[in-house]
Amino acid sequence: MSSTAVASGKVEYTDSENRNALFAVKAHLIAGLSVFLLMMLGGLTMRAAQGTWIEIGVDLFYQIMTVHGVGVVGAAMIASTGVQWHFLRKYVRLSNAIFWTNFFIFLTGVVMILGSIFLGGYGGAWTFLYPLPAISMGAWSTGAAAVFQLGLLIIGVGFLILYLDFGRAILARYGSLARSLGLTMLFGKEPVDPAHPKAVVASTMVLIVNFLGIAAGAVVLVMGLINLYNPEFQPDAMLMKNLIYFFGHVVINATIYASVIAVYELLPRYTGRPWKTNKVFLAAWFAIVFMVMGVYPHHLLMDFPMPAWAMITAQVLSFGSGIPVLVVTGYGALMLVYRSGIKWSTTTKLLFLSMFGWAAGVIPAILDAMVTINRVFHNTLWVPGHFHFYLLLGLLPMIIGFTYHLAGEGDRSEQPKATDSLGFYAYLIGAFMTSMVFLASGANSIPRRWAVHMEEWVTFAQVGTIAAALVVLGTLLFTLRAIFILPGAANPR
Amino acid sequence: MIIKVKQEWLLLTAFVVLALPPMQQFLEQSMVTHMLVQIPVLAIIGWMLGKKLPENWKSKITLWNRWGITGMVLAVIIMTYWMLPRALDAAISEWHFELVKFVTVPIMGIALSLSWPLLHPIAQGVLKLEFWATFMRLGWLYLDLPDRLCANYLLGDQRILGQLLLLGGSAWAVAWTLRVMFGTRIVKT
Ligand code: HEM
Ligand SMILES: [Cu+2]
Repeated sequence: MSSTAVASGKVEYTDSENRNALFAVKAHLIAGLSVFLLMMLGGLTMRAAQGTWIEIGVDLFYQIMTVHGVGVVGAAMIASTGVQWHFLRKYVRLSNAIFWTNFFIFLTGVVMILGSIFLGGYGGAWTFLYPLPAISMGAWSTGAAAVFQLGLLIIGVGFLILYLDFGRAILARYGSLARSLGLTMLFGKEPVDPAHPKAVVASTMVLIVNFLGIAAGAVVLVMGLINLYNPEFQPDAMLMKNLIYFFGHVVINATIYASVIAVYELLPRYTGRPWKTNKVFLAAWFAIVFMVMGVYPHHLLMDFPMPAWAMITAQVLSFGSGIPVLVVTGYGALMLVYRSGIKWSTTTKLLFLSMFGWAAGVIPAILDAMVTINRVFHNTLWVPGHFHFYLLLGLLPMIIGFTYHLAGEGDRSEQPKATDSLGFYAYLIGAFMTSMVFLASGANSIPRRWAVHMEEWVTFAQVGTIAAALVVLGTLLFTLRAIFILPGAANPR
Repeated sequence: MIIKVKQEWLLLTAFVVLALPPMQQFLEQSMVTHMLVQIPVLAIIGWMLGKKLPENWKSKITLWNRWGITGMVLAVIIMTYWMLPRALDAAISEWHFELVKFVTVPIMGIALSLSWPLLHPIAQGVLKLEFWATFMRLGWLYLDLPDRLCANYLLGDQRILGQLLLLGGSAWAVAWTLRVMFGTRIVKT
């Protein structure tokens, strides 16, 4: 088939375009990692405060919690977009200018958000749950809440622009998203092309869900803004909550699906084995489009006015959410690595770790999505426990692994240095402990989002602080590596 | 040539019919027809007129309309203005505002038709999205606001308009989805 040959062919760019693109990807990674590092220091501070080792004001705690939440989500978005864009542009013609545009719009939004938090005192959490931003009881001004939401809105617009470019490029090459997602192959309209790029499949999924998620966010943010300045307009709080969590859940979830492209693209290189696209793979990615969008009501399991069918759907989907892609990816990765004589570099170690972290992190998540368990664990530290697990051990290893690849391991088969190994193990142990302490705290009914902990809980927070320090150490080593070595590294062939 | 003249006359006739009291008053009786029939039709008349402008006019305008930016800014300003409830109120109660409406809305149409094709495809996408989001936001607002926004229209009218806006926005979203997912085109553009 001639179209198959076209479908697996690569896009040609000029040298200067390629140089600029590589520079842009590195800027995304460095920005993302630096923000992660800073936000982790914030996490460490929160833990130390809960553990009574340091004393900070309650308002400062909530400002840090807000900046931590919004900061890591933003960093995850910008860094995972860097990973995704780097690989996607090989298969469809993407615009460097648009990529940079989103980056600078993002930075603008970040400045606004930082201002709203640390100058304006906004501390209503990154989820800006209506009507909290409007009723701070003097802790922050209406203006601060508005600037925070405007900052988010601007960042959303930037990403929409980028996704329009993704969509344009994918449609130009494949004609429809159904085709780029592989539905035509899945349903037998076209023969299965084993070389159909996984980056394109994953990107199509991310494009669809994030587009809808951000569109919902754009509507709900403006409604919140109108309410701030026009308090007699009181939108339905349940509807607002639905839209906010749809937006929030989709956006943070999609970062994993964008970053996993690094696993698909890099493991075959390091093992020297091809990773073929087949129907199971396509079916998994097709299912995940709906799952990622359908599970968000697990955040609303305790809201009795919600219709029962939405809750049941959410619970059923949550059981399986992530599993299809996780299984095809994890199994595929194992098969690639098994007896391949792979040389373990920091890149491959991290990518492999990410499979474990993602898989294991899903288990507490599924537990919490069961109504009976949620009744007990809702709003306990169990929740931060599960998401720190797969974000720290699933998402970040993908991003950092890719960074190491770009920083030289991909090219000169550079050996990991002692500092890299130290970083890796500090990070691994610290991240695992951080998550487990959160989970254990949740199992002991310690609530989340409490600035001051009761005496019985303090030991948990103190162990958590030590764990956090290890994560910070590991991330510091990784980030230094990225900042000093990445800028000068050549493009791995 | 004959057809061309005819179409321009048709547009002019349509414009006059809209402006004459029977039609004008009929459409302005309700917020729904005012916002969803009269103003859009005026804009469409402008759009079609824009297509019919003589070539040398067009090329002169293009000099001032690099990438369609000037025209789009003008169009967006006019559109935003006529989305304000108080602007609609003024048009009903004072004849000079009404006159301004009958002049500026067709101008907006002309500006759109001259500028839209020049616009970068990504900018087109952003504007379409923003327009869609405006439909949804306004629809929601009209449904939920406890008070009338327009002094001249009833609350019930506002609610119906809200529902229609949400319905229209949803239909648009479905059409878009079909288009990008499966390449199905419901409306040819
Ligand atoms: C050293 C590493 C980290 C530490 C010590 C840490 C610590 C914390 C703490 C103490 C909280 C507040 C818990 C509470 O409700 O009492 C929190 C919340 C949160 N963290 Fe982290 N964190 C770390 C890294 C990350 C990373 C890498 C991500 C995402 C990629 C992340 C995402 C979040 C989110 C989304 C929240 C919820 C904020 C909210 O409740 O509004 N964290 N973290
Ligand atoms: Cu969720």
